[in-house]
Amino acid sequence: MELAIGIILGCCALGAGVAMVAGIGPGIGEGNAVAKACEAIGRQPECKGDVTTTMLMGCAIAETTGLYALVIAILLIFVAPKQFVNILLDSLK
Amino acid sequence: MLKVDKTVKKETTYIAISSVIMSLFMQSVFLILGFWDYTVLLGNLWGVFAAVLNFFLMGITVQKALNKDKKQAQSMVRASQAGRMFMLFCFVLVGVLVDAFNIYAVLISLLFPRIWIFMRPLLDKKSDDKG
Repeated sequence: MELAIGIILGCCALGAGVAMVAGIGPGIGEGNAVAKACEAIGRQPECKGDVTTTMLMGCAIAETTGLYALVIAILLIFVAPKQFVNILLDSLK
Repeated sequence: MLKVDKTVKKETTYIAISSVIMSLFMQSVFLILGFWDYTVLLGNLWGVFAAVLNFFLMGITVQKALNKDKKQAQSMVRASQAGRMFMLFCFVLVGVLVDAFNIYAVLISLLFPRIWIFMRPLLDKKSDDKG
């Protein structure tokens, strides 16, 4: 029984760690987007307002991937273990 | 002191208002399903505050980055993203560990800006059609 619970807790922690790998992507993507926006504003300074608005929305969307990963990791750490252990205990009754 | 760009102010206000509208919708769904209590309200407020603060800080970073050269802007935004992700993690951790917050309300509230940004082109299209 302890082994099964240990495996459940370990797998949940491992899953949370793997989920957080997705947190790397948005940083790289946002960095590239801002670099290109700098180029665009350098070429056409009068478009600064439009570029900023579009880029803010783009960055917010790009960041959501990381946010999904964070939400999944939090659920795997704090919610899932209790649920899985309850399912295991119910199945043994 | 840093002067906040008017585009950043406008977009943050837009996101804040839209998050409040989405919050009202979420509260009513919880109420209809019979799960509503004060923890849902507090969790919702906490999550919306974190989401709007995150968006505002992102706007400030973008505003600063646009005045730098390409390489500096890139590294600045990456560092800021990591910092903001850590900040969100701390907010969510507090939301999970403190019993006064409903965990699902906190987590759902964090996604409101994304949902509204996804709906924005549809709303803009409708207002264009009317105009």
